[in-house]
Amino acid sequence: MTTLHATSFKHASAPFPTIAARAIDVVKTYGRDEATVRALDGANVAIPAGRFTAVMGPSGSGKSTLVHALAGLDRIDSGQVLLGGTDLSALSERDRTLLRRDRLGFVFQSFNLVPALTAAENIALPLTLAGKKPDPAWQAELVAMLGLGARLNHRPAQLSGGQQQRVAVGRALIARPDIVFADEPTGNLDSRSGAALLRFLRDATRSYGQTIVMVTHDPVAASYADQVVFLADGRVVDELANPTPETVLARTAHLDTPDGK
Amino acid sequence: MWRLTLSNAIAHRSRLALTWVAVALGVAFVVGGLVLTDTSSRVLDDQFRTAAAGVDLTIRSSAGFDSAMGVEVQRDPLPATLTDRIAGTAGVAKVRAVAGGSAQLQVRGKTVTPKGPTLLGTWAGSPFTAYTLRAGHAPTGADEVVLDVATAKAEHVTLGDRITVSATASRTLRVVGLTQIGDADGLPNSNVLLTDLHTAQLLLGLGTGLTSIEAIAADDVNVPDLRTRLAATLGITYAVTSGQDAAAASADAAKQSISYLRIVLLALAGAGLVVGAFLIANTFGIVLTQRSRELALLRAAGATGRQVLTSVLGEALLVGLTGAAGGTAVGVGAAYGLRGLAKSAGLALPGGALTVTGRTLLVGLIAGTLLTVLAAVGPARRAARVAPVQAMRASDPAPATTKRGRLITGLVLFAIAVALMVVAATTGSMPGVGAAAALLLGAVVVLGPVLAPRLARSVGRPLNRLGVPGQLAREATVRNPRRTASTAMALALALALITFVAVIGSSVKAIAAAGGEAITADLMVQSSREEMLGGLSPEVGQRVANLPQVADTSTTRYGHWLDQGTTSALTAVDPNTLPKVAKVTMTDGTLTALQDGGVVIADSVAKERGLAVGDTLAMTFPRDGQQQLRVVGVMDDRSAQAMSTNYVLSLGTYATHYSENVDATVYVALKDGVDGKQARVALRAAVADFPNAAIRDQGEAAAGRAAATEQVISLITVLLGFAVLIALLGITNTLALSIVERTREIGLLRAVGMTRAQLRRMVGAEAVLVAAIAAVAGVALGLVLAAGTLAGLAADNPVVIRVPAVQLIAVVATAVLAGLAAGLVPARRAAKLDVLTAIATQ
Ligand SMILES: Nc1ncnc2c1ncn2[C@@H]1O[C@H](COP(=O)(O)OP(=O)(O)O)[C@@H](O)[C@H]1O
Ligand SMILES: [Mg+2]
Repeated sequence: MTTLHATSFKHASAPFPTIAARAIDVVKTYGRDEATVRALDGANVAIPAGRFTAVMGPSGSGKSTLVHALAGLDRIDSGQVLLGGTDLSALSERDRTLLRRDRLGFVFQSFNLVPALTAAENIALPLTLAGKKPDPAWQAELVAMLGLGARLNHRPAQLSGGQQQRVAVGRALIARPDIVFADEPTGNLDSRSGAALLRFLRDATRSYGQTIVMVTHDPVAASYADQVVFLADGRVVDELANPTPETVLARTAHLDTPDGK
Repeated sequence: MWRLTLSNAIAHRSRLALTWVAVALGVAFVVGGLVLTDTSSRVLDDQFRTAAAGVDLTIRSSAGFDSAMGVEVQRDPLPATLTDRIAGTAGVAKVRAVAGGSAQLQVRGKTVTPKGPTLLGTWAGSPFTAYTLRAGHAPTGADEVVLDVATAKAEHVTLGDRITVSATASRTLRVVGLTQIGDADGLPNSNVLLTDLHTAQLLLGLGTGLTSIEAIAADDVNVPDLRTRLAATLGITYAVTSGQDAAAASADAAKQSISYLRIVLLALAGAGLVVGAFLIANTFGIVLTQRSRELALLRAAGATGRQVLTSVLGEALLVGLTGAAGGTAVGVGAAYGLRGLAKSAGLALPGGALTVTGRTLLVGLIAGTLLTVLAAVGPARRAARVAPVQAMRASDPAPATTKRGRLITGLVLFAIAVALMVVAATTGSMPGVGAAAALLLGAVVVLGPVLAPRLARSVGRPLNRLGVPGQLAREATVRNPRRTASTAMALALALALITFVAVIGSSVKAIAAAGGEAITADLMVQSSREEMLGGLSPEVGQRVANLPQVADTSTTRYGHWLDQGTTSALTAVDPNTLPKVAKVTMTDGTLTALQDGGVVIADSVAKERGLAVGDTLAMTFPRDGQQQLRVVGVMDDRSAQAMSTNYVLSLGTYATHYSENVDATVYVALKDGVDGKQARVALRAAVADFPNAAIRDQGEAAAGRAAATEQVISLITVLLGFAVLIALLGITNTLALSIVERTREIGLLRAVGMTRAQLRRMVGAEAVLVAAIAAVAGVALGLVLAAGTLAGLAADNPVVIRVPAVQLIAVVATAVLAGLAAGLVPARRAAKLDVLTAIATQ
């Protein structure tokens, strides 16, 4: 297994104490022959532990693909993905599943919850799948933080979109994973619910040191993060620390223009 | 719209594939049954017709009817002199004297027992018969016999071998020839033995008597005219029939066992189709739910509800028509399989090229198409109600909630069904029981969606031990009550039928055994064949009676009679000796009164027909036609069961109405202190030269009676297995479809860490749960139906219900295991889903 120190690192500009995940020259293509799409074309990125990282870029730039690669949801064609000290490309399908279950959390844009389970059961899902019980104190704290106390026995169909996404955040955090991946978690929410959700994510990093990677195309959402990684055409092209909506917008405008998008 | 229908059906072909299979299977069953029975009757017709190919007229003694229960009645012998009288009649060119009847065949000391009769006849070649020697020569001497090729093959008999033929007398004969019959090797289910006239007369104990005379008319003579003239000269003692009519009557007799098979096959095919209908309705329901967004879009684009309805029904028509066509083709092939099945259940059917009539094809096509379209009407109407605004809604359609109205309607139906069942069962009205059963089924169908979630919760409790996969499996069945209900209902129906048959079967056996309790005889000597296929020579009874160990004997005989056109059976007894071997309880009149003629009837018959001692009963006998018999006694029903029939005559009365001279059973009471085993050995030795005389004690006799029931039950159960198969396909189909529907949920579960093994377990658990619900509901339903039927049949008698617990547990276990198997494919498919595509699916 390759160690973290073996490869040089072009874009890891800031000297972070620990790196939670790393993508090294990752290439991922879809389709064959003429129809080939290089969704990731030599992407390099380092995700610092205990920070909230936003991934930005125009539609189709490979944001989701990058997150899927980092989370072991998808196999890559070449390059390397390291999670802590684990090389994902060396893992079997089953081991990747178990790694996701035990060490990662997910929040998707929509359809985050199992309709048949209550909010509480959905939150506990990664643990119950592993045959474990959630830590009651941690669960209570999460529920209180997310304001879900009155909704625990409701099913997803009885919850608003914002509440559903908060349950998903609870589920992502319940097992205290190494990293939480969120792919446009506010994409389907109104601005108020979206802002609340983003605050929860930021608080999780501030209060518990939770590492979070969030894909978004909204500069305001990105401004909640500690740093922003910019993607274009399957490559990481820029980074920004301590973003504000204005600085993010300035960078994206700059990125978008040459593409004409 | 039709273009849309067609492209829809093609686009959803994988979803409709199993529906198609279900239609095809059901239709194949129907077509297979029809083809098989058509083929059998045609082959029988052909054979009997060619067997009597050249005969214009057949002269026999008159009879009240030709055949009963698949066996031709025996007629009085004709005097030999009649041959000359007929030969001398103007217009008759040729005559031949025939002696024929039932016999027993022994090869190398072992009795050959075909399912049908062993026929002993008089050899003749062309132009009288269609027997054609394949090897050897015609029988000429007193020790020569010709055997049909099929029997020779089956029993490994070759020219020159010695075989023993027994009828009234027994002889060892040398096989000098092998014959084919028509184009075939032999007659189905039968052995054919042909000797010269004298040997046949000797074996059949006819003396110089004949069983029939066959005549060929001169070339220039009109056969119907000749028949009229002959009938006039011979008088009413003799019947003159055309050769073809006589052959047709013989064929009809042979066809009776097939007509029973046809009813069984078609009834079971019907069950298969009904089970298939549930599956079809379910598939269309699911596919349309999944397409509700698309349908709403259509509506929004201006399609009327009616157009949507037509489009969906058009799709059903397409599936139905092609499925029925496929099933019809498969069914023709399935006829071979069914023939093999029937054979393994002891019911051999004639072989030969299959007969596929236009009627069969039409029935198959129409039944399959109609069924599919009818089953799709419900889902189609629901689809037509999809509102255009649903196209705009982003969320998945909420699962249908069960309505209060359904619960109330279901419960009311259920109450009516139960009330009707109780009334019908106590009054013994079978149509009432049938109507109640249909109502009950209706109630269960209506209540299904209400009951299914409840059942799923309780039956599925053990699944919680599987953790999240088990819990999710249970929730999936609970959340979709209508779907779970109709999937389970199909299997439940099939299992209910199996339970019903099993309970009826074991109860019937118990009733038969109870009848035996009224018999006090120590031993009985019975024909090892069915009574009507050649019983015991009267000699057997005499020899047994003369043994020193034997205190008393009493013989019985069976006969068929026509009861206002339908065949019924009666028992002839010796009223003086019967009480020494059986306890016959009379509720009115006396048994001994039978000595002066008349009939004793069972209590249930007396009640049903309002008959009492002193009344008369019209009975049509084979020998002397319709007679009025005085009712001289009424026996209780248990005694009637012991006698095997509801009508009892004296042996003396029997002799005047029947020509048969064979005994059914010789009951034996041993002297006090005689050892049963030794007595048995003595009996065996005394009747050693009667191969068909089987010596049985009470237990063996009961087992013998049970064996036949068992064979029929196992055949029906195997055939019902096909209905179960269709229902299991339904589980597979429903699960496969619901996995398509739950793709995103599955993707999510996999993303957050559900392993493939856990996912497989989840889908498998769902399949098992549906099967388990079906098993519980099916067995319960089957038990209720069986109880109602048995109670209805028993009427005033104590109801005997035997629940074969072990068998039913095996049925439930098999169903659950089969459920597991049904879930395998969908489980594998679910596990194979790519996590990312699953997440990305809209
Ligand atoms: N399953 C797939 N098959 C084919 N092409 C894909 C697939 N997933 C993504 N792509 C393509 O890869 C590129 C990157 O996609 P994605 O990572 O989803 O972009 P983003 O999330 O930044 O919008 C796009 O051009 C997209 O069309
Ligand atoms: Mg994306």
